[in-house]
Amino acid sequence: MFWESSIPNVLASDASLQASPAAAPPMDDEAFAAFYERSSRSLWAYLARTSGDPTLAEDIMQESYVRFLCLANPPSYLADGEVACRRYLFRIATNLLRDHWRRPRSASIEEMPENLFASVDEQAASDSQLILGPALAEMRPRDRQLLWLAHAEGYSHQEIAEITGLASASIRLLLFRARRKIAHLLQNQNRGRQA
Amino acid sequence: MMLRCCPREAEVKALVERGQWPQACATELRKHVDSCRSCGELVLVTAAFQHARNHALGAARLGSPGLLWWRAQLRRRNAAVERISRPILSAQIFALAVNLVVAAAVAVWQARHGVAWLTWLEQLPHNMSLQWLTSLVPEGLFNSGAGSLTSPLVLVFASSTLLLVGGVVAYFASEKQ
Repeated sequence: MFWESSIPNVLASDASLQASPAAAPPMDDEAFAAFYERSSRSLWAYLARTSGDPTLAEDIMQESYVRFLCLANPPSYLADGEVACRRYLFRIATNLLRDHWRRPRSASIEEMPENLFASVDEQAASDSQLILGPALAEMRPRDRQLLWLAHAEGYSHQEIAEITGLASASIRLLLFRARRKIAHLLQNQNRGRQA
Repeated sequence: MMLRCCPREAEVKALVERGQWPQACATELRKHVDSCRSCGELVLVTAAFQHARNHALGAARLGSPGLLWWRAQLRRRNAAVERISRPILSAQIFALAVNLVVAAAVAVWQARHGVAWLTWLEQLPHNMSLQWLTSLVPEGLFNSGAGSLTSPLVLVFASSTLLLVGGVVAYFASEKQ
């Protein structure tokens, strides 16, 4: 199904826009649907675990895809490949998450995630959340991002530098420190559980 | 803090990421990880993150890709419309400014000439050779004094231009709203 056909004249009047290679979307709708299917879960996992808020992760994920499709100079799906598109998507999401953290907090009760008020169900909480959650919560937001990108997504230092916008040389040191800190927290947790 | 990395880290990390740790690795490597602090931390952290990732992938809340595609198209279109309408807005502002300048100039010009245009208005039917109009109005209503033909014509053209441009400006303004 072509989504343009479901919205009459959305693109019909934008002949100049379509003709301009700079404004063309990075992929067609079918390729996008396939790309979304393959990349959205890992992007959501990254956002949900580094932000600690699944609702926020959902919002930022959607905004990331929309911005990716609206990019003036997007990476070409055919020329650059899916890996480059995926990396660019993570980059957009990282920036959006950083913007969210920088924004002054003025949360009203309507903006609070529902699960904040739900009773903590130990059975429902997964093992991975119980193990990694408390340790991640004690890390700085940037360290959480770096650790997730390196150890969950398996990105190289160069790729992490591209995604986060940090210097490639400093990634190694930042990751080393973050890894040492979270390893210490995890070891303490394990010891506490055993005791 | 000393930045000491073990040369076997890459090997250990690859095994953990592939899910082959510790079953599918050599005993010698396991012994190394037990004795190497850097590799021990790497195994602990990578295993925890891989476990968390696998769980999170299953718990992901995904929307429809079609909806995102549609939102992106709509945003691109709005951006294009905004880009196109920017010069039109500038033209409208320019037209309004010209209008104001012309109106001010006419006002000043008229103030200097007093109410001479009223006299000209009375002579308008004669000046425009509209004899038929004079026949319609009673005799003596218009004075037949001499008047300049040029200045009244300028006033007519200025007023017409003002009305025309004003109409165009009003049209664009209402269309934008």
